[in-house]
Amino acid sequence: MKILPYLLRFCLGLVLVASLRLSAADSLPLGPDTLLTDPAHDPAWTELLAKLSASKTRQSQFEERRYFPFRSTPVMLKGEIRIAPEHGLSLRYLEPDRRILIVDDKGLLMRDDEGRQRAAPSDSRAQAVTSAMVSVLRFDLAALQKSFVMYGRRDGSAWMLGFVPRDPALAEMIGTLFVSGEQTRLDRIEMTKSSKQRIEILISGAREDVIFPGDVLERFFR
Amino acid sequence: MARASQKTLARVALLVFTAGCVIWLTRLDYARKISTNVLDLIPAAEQAPEIALIRGFANDVQARVMLFVVDDPSAPGVPPTAAAQLLASELMRSPLFAEAVLLGDDSAQNVLGKKIFDHRFELLLPTWLGQHERTFALTGQPPEKYSAWLAEQSAAELEKFLNRPEAVALQDLTLVDPLLLVPGLVDRARGLSGPGSASGGPALVWTRITVSPLDEAGQGPVFAAVEAAFAQVRAAHPGVKLRWSGINRFAAASRARIESEIKLLNILSLVAVLGVSCIFVRRIYKILHLVPVIVISLLGAWTASTLVFDRLHILVFVIGSLLAGVAIDYGFYIYMQPSLRREEPYAEKLRRLLKPLLASCLTTVIGFSLLLFSELPLIRQIGLFVGAGLLCALGAAMLYFAQLERPLLEGRTFELLDTRRDRPALRRILQVLFGIALVIALGGPWLLRWRDDIRQLDVPSPALQANEEEVRALFGESSTGSIYLTQGSTVAEARQHLDDFLDYQSKATPGASIASLGLLLPTEADWRQLGPRLKRLGKFDGDFRAALERHGFLADSFSPFFQAWDMLRQQPPAGGYASVAGTLEGMLTGPLAMLGHLHGAAPWMLTMVEHAEGPALPPQLHTVAVSQLQSLNGLFTRYRWSALRLSLVGLGLVIASVFAIYPFRRGLRIALIPAGSCFFVFGVLGLTGQTLNLFHLLGAFLGVCLSHNYAIFSSDNATSRTSPPVSIRLSALCTAASFGVLSFSRIPVIHALGLTVALIVVTALTAVELEPLARRPR
Repeated sequence: MKILPYLLRFCLGLVLVASLRLSAADSLPLGPDTLLTDPAHDPAWTELLAKLSASKTRQSQFEERRYFPFRSTPVMLKGEIRIAPEHGLSLRYLEPDRRILIVDDKGLLMRDDEGRQRAAPSDSRAQAVTSAMVSVLRFDLAALQKSFVMYGRRDGSAWMLGFVPRDPALAEMIGTLFVSGEQTRLDRIEMTKSSKQRIEILISGAREDVIFPGDVLERFFR
Repeated sequence: MARASQKTLARVALLVFTAGCVIWLTRLDYARKISTNVLDLIPAAEQAPEIALIRGFANDVQARVMLFVVDDPSAPGVPPTAAAQLLASELMRSPLFAEAVLLGDDSAQNVLGKKIFDHRFELLLPTWLGQHERTFALTGQPPEKYSAWLAEQSAAELEKFLNRPEAVALQDLTLVDPLLLVPGLVDRARGLSGPGSASGGPALVWTRITVSPLDEAGQGPVFAAVEAAFAQVRAAHPGVKLRWSGINRFAAASRARIESEIKLLNILSLVAVLGVSCIFVRRIYKILHLVPVIVISLLGAWTASTLVFDRLHILVFVIGSLLAGVAIDYGFYIYMQPSLRREEPYAEKLRRLLKPLLASCLTTVIGFSLLLFSELPLIRQIGLFVGAGLLCALGAAMLYFAQLERPLLEGRTFELLDTRRDRPALRRILQVLFGIALVIALGGPWLLRWRDDIRQLDVPSPALQANEEEVRALFGESSTGSIYLTQGSTVAEARQHLDDFLDYQSKATPGASIASLGLLLPTEADWRQLGPRLKRLGKFDGDFRAALERHGFLADSFSPFFQAWDMLRQQPPAGGYASVAGTLEGMLTGPLAMLGHLHGAAPWMLTMVEHAEGPALPPQLHTVAVSQLQSLNGLFTRYRWSALRLSLVGLGLVIASVFAIYPFRRGLRIALIPAGSCFFVFGVLGLTGQTLNLFHLLGAFLGVCLSHNYAIFSSDNATSRTSPPVSIRLSALCTAASFGVLSFSRIPVIHALGLTVALIVVTALTAVELEPLARRPR
């Protein structure tokens, strides 16, 4: 009986499952080894962060997995992500429901497929979360260092950054933020409160310097 | 009676009257007696319930709110919450402030959220169960399947909810509330939560004052308290800036503007009258004898009005100051009439003039008296003020000139044309002109557009308005949405009406986002059904666990909910419906407390719809849009028709009186001159595309009464084809000049009155002057 191929296939399957379930926290341990005290002047990060923070428009697909402590499987959402430095970040959910989520300087705005929109409550919690998201996605180092303790690890062209909110209340709310990618490409965003409470956003098919026509800006941004 | 004793008697009568008026007026509490509140112009017992509702809302709720915006220009990205918190604390030190809330302060929202969660089974579950039961009834399934159906629906709704953006933030809450009673409020109560501090912008402080902003106590002292509080803030946080808005700022500005307008317009009117008088009067200083007549007339008008009415609007005095223009007529007429012979006693002269004087005065008084039957307090007050003032003016003129040895104000007569000679060419030209005027008078008024706007009663303050809009925008007020008030005689009735309104609104504006305080409260029917409905859900626990597992949930994770559900079924909430409403109302503080009034005789609830306001709502919904200006504009249109009816009846009476006193031909002339002038002016305004309002109509009535005087006083001259007496020219031109000055007022009401009266008076004088020339001499 040729058992080896079955065993190999089984092991490969286990590895794949494990890699899927492996959270960013496992990939980037938050400790003195990965602590970034002054990334703006750290030769390992200066060039990369400068490129990441460059004012470029970006568009890509994303897959969001929401892990809840009361569900056996994550909730899967799919859509498109658009980043326009002057307008903010726009998540267009296509599955299972169609809606647009806009994160910008004014806060969080939700817009449905018919164009009806509503702003998230502009209380300090929502403001803190959205401003954290905006800072992270813009790689605004000055703002990030003010609000977060930063961690990072590079492995060849791959990189991963972790952001732990300095404000305990914000930390309680969003947990730790991880972003990772390859070269100047952002591949993954993760917000982790615990292994059972986290959000992963996997980004693919990224395009840079996309020209967003007026109607696209109007539809997907505020 | 000897001349000396007549003189003494007249003097005593005048002095006693004047002293009585002065004593009465000096003892008045003007702050209480005189109102600047536009809403006081609406009858207290206005029959339309929505008007009473808006009036109560605007006076007692909305008007007391003051909004403060604290900026720190040195740190534009960070709301200066510490400075704003200090401002709120300092304001609360003053007894003039009942509440001062820093918006965006999470603790207050958290407290409210916790209270709603604690009472979710009383406040939210009855509606949730009611809605699901009604939906189930539509499926036509047998009742025994209800529990399983409800469990399946609830699990499916929970699964769908996890796709929403807020699901992540609310996951801890979802564990204890998988029916989504509280998370479901995100949509329904979103518009109610009020604004927080704008992102990276200023800090916002919402306050409510204890006193009416329309009273003096709600203005100066409140402004001083704000100044003092901000001084403390500036000391601790140098550089911060304050913007603030409140009804009291508008009221104070309006009062100041009206006061300054009264002073300026009166001075300008006086200058205009003096200017005209200089042309017609030989010894101008003698005109000072008319001052006591006008003063006594105004004193009498003030006294009568304040005696009769408990509270008067300040506009009555502004409009009433125009009385001087009418009151001076009688003085001019008596004072400028030469004696028939050198030794003619004053009493004899007066007897000679009595018929036109009484005809003129009493007919005008009858006309204005009719305004006392108006529904609108302002019109009633003006009717009394002018009527009483005219009687006092006539009495004062008759008595005052009895004091003088030879009361005669010599005027200059300008005989431009010999009116006795017939000039056929001129006559034909004038006849053509009168024909054209007739066509304009008959056709032009049909082109008039009428529009009543309560804002015309207020004094525009563009700078304050811009500040108000800026501040309210920062507080999250949207100009695209609509706000509605739903009322009932009990809170249960109001809640039922709200359901009817929401049903109507969902059909009228499908998809529009709606938020209402009432949605936090069940209807009385759903509340009463809570116990029986829970009783019927004996198997729900097991059904829901199974449904959760089917939808990918770990049912055991929700054990806190199942424990609470079990306890609820054993001890369902009890108590009267009013106590549930009381529970909800007790939770609301600050801006949220403005969203409803759930007790007392006329409870109401506020609903915000993110959609422009549609057509007027059916009355059975007992709901009214808070765009109160429009509602009141409609009301004012109704009052205009009422005023028009009264004016026409008044005019009819005046004309009837004229025909009763004078022969038909003279009566016809006397009636046609004022009426024709009025219609001609309306015709011209119609042809030039003007939009008129209630106050143009009142001005026209005043103008007709004035023209009526000129027609009467010139009646003898017209018959004999002589020039009208100089007193008429002087009086008419003085009136035209003083009202013409008023037409430059920035207060729309005064402008409307001034323009209409001036035009009618000038037209009437022209008619009086030219009418004899257009006739062939007999």
